[in-house]
Amino acid sequence: MLEVLKIALPLCLSYIPIGLACGILLNVAGFNVILTGLVSILVFSGGAQFLLASMLTANAPMHTVLIMLFFLELRYALLGSSISQYLRNTSKKFLYIFAVSLNDENYAVNYLKFATDKSWTPKDALMVEHYSLLFWTFANIVGSLIGNLLSVDLAIVDYALTALFIYMIVMQVANKLTIVVSFVAAVFAIISMVVLKSTMGLVVSTLLASFVGFATEDYLVKHGKKRGFLLKKIKPKASRRVISKSGDN
Amino acid sequence: MTEKTMEHLLLIILSMLVAFGPRFIPLRIFSTRDIPKWFNEWMKYVPVSLFTALVVKDVFIDTGAGYVFTGIHNMAKIIASLIVIAVAYRSRSMGLSVVLGLIAVTLLAMVFTV
Repeated sequence: MLEVLKIALPLCLSYIPIGLACGILLNVAGFNVILTGLVSILVFSGGAQFLLASMLTANAPMHTVLIMLFFLELRYALLGSSISQYLRNTSKKFLYIFAVSLNDENYAVNYLKFATDKSWTPKDALMVEHYSLLFWTFANIVGSLIGNLLSVDLAIVDYALTALFIYMIVMQVANKLTIVVSFVAAVFAIISMVVLKSTMGLVVSTLLASFVGFATEDYLVKHGKKRGFLLKKIKPKASRRVISKSGDN
Repeated sequence: MTEKTMEHLLLIILSMLVAFGPRFIPLRIFSTRDIPKWFNEWMKYVPVSLFTALVVKDVFIDTGAGYVFTGIHNMAKIIASLIVIAVAYRSRSMGLSVVLGLIAVTLLAMVFTV
């Protein structure tokens, strides 16, 4: 158990500042401590919770919030399917519990451990998830409590979400095509939000830009340019250094 | 419980379902079957597209004024974002990126418009 904690600890510690910021924002959005604790356990996604907070503060209607959330959480389909190969001989109940507390960061740790450490078991992986859940929920609750005490400039704390997303974009960059897709997405996002005058613009631009990426890669691969300028690998997708700090050999 | 709290509770439960579906369904299906290639290839570009759109919304769009493109008006956030990109690229640490981003935007807000 302590061995697993050692591996999960860098991740857990990095959750503290973000969890605090998230708790403060949720408090501003009108969530009390209990609701903040509940959302941290049940949704357990930094991006989703920040989004909830900022959209509630902006008085967005519930269906818009849920649609945005769905698209935001859709990326877990990719994470889930890529880690599923390591969870083959587990029960349906285990998969259920595993899915509940799967998120970007514990996925990154677990995926690399599964890929590099033969003795890494699904049970260890679940424990990493639960350690990160514990730290995340704790930080959120503390954030919610101190949010009551101090007044914060919303435009500034709100930027924590943007910084988090920028970090995740940088972590996603696998080749030059990813960077191109990011710029395409930026242009589409501006046009579609200005035209549609709503957050539906985010949904439209995401679908268009990801399709452009998918189609371009498909075209390049079919024309034998797999090692060309755009698709040449820049660096590994998961962060090696962070993982190796987490007790990996 | 107040009406607002009930509404928030409902939102949390619905959010949980919305968050759970994409996490569980592929995990369940693909732990016994192979992943279709096209699905993976398409999903690969969803996160980067969505995250970019969300960053652009915060930095370049004024939602309060009816979704107006603000260009370089939010200079503090533009510069802070460049700092976050550099920090994320070099440190690959989530906590450091967010904390330095917040500090940068706080300091820059004293000089520029947020």
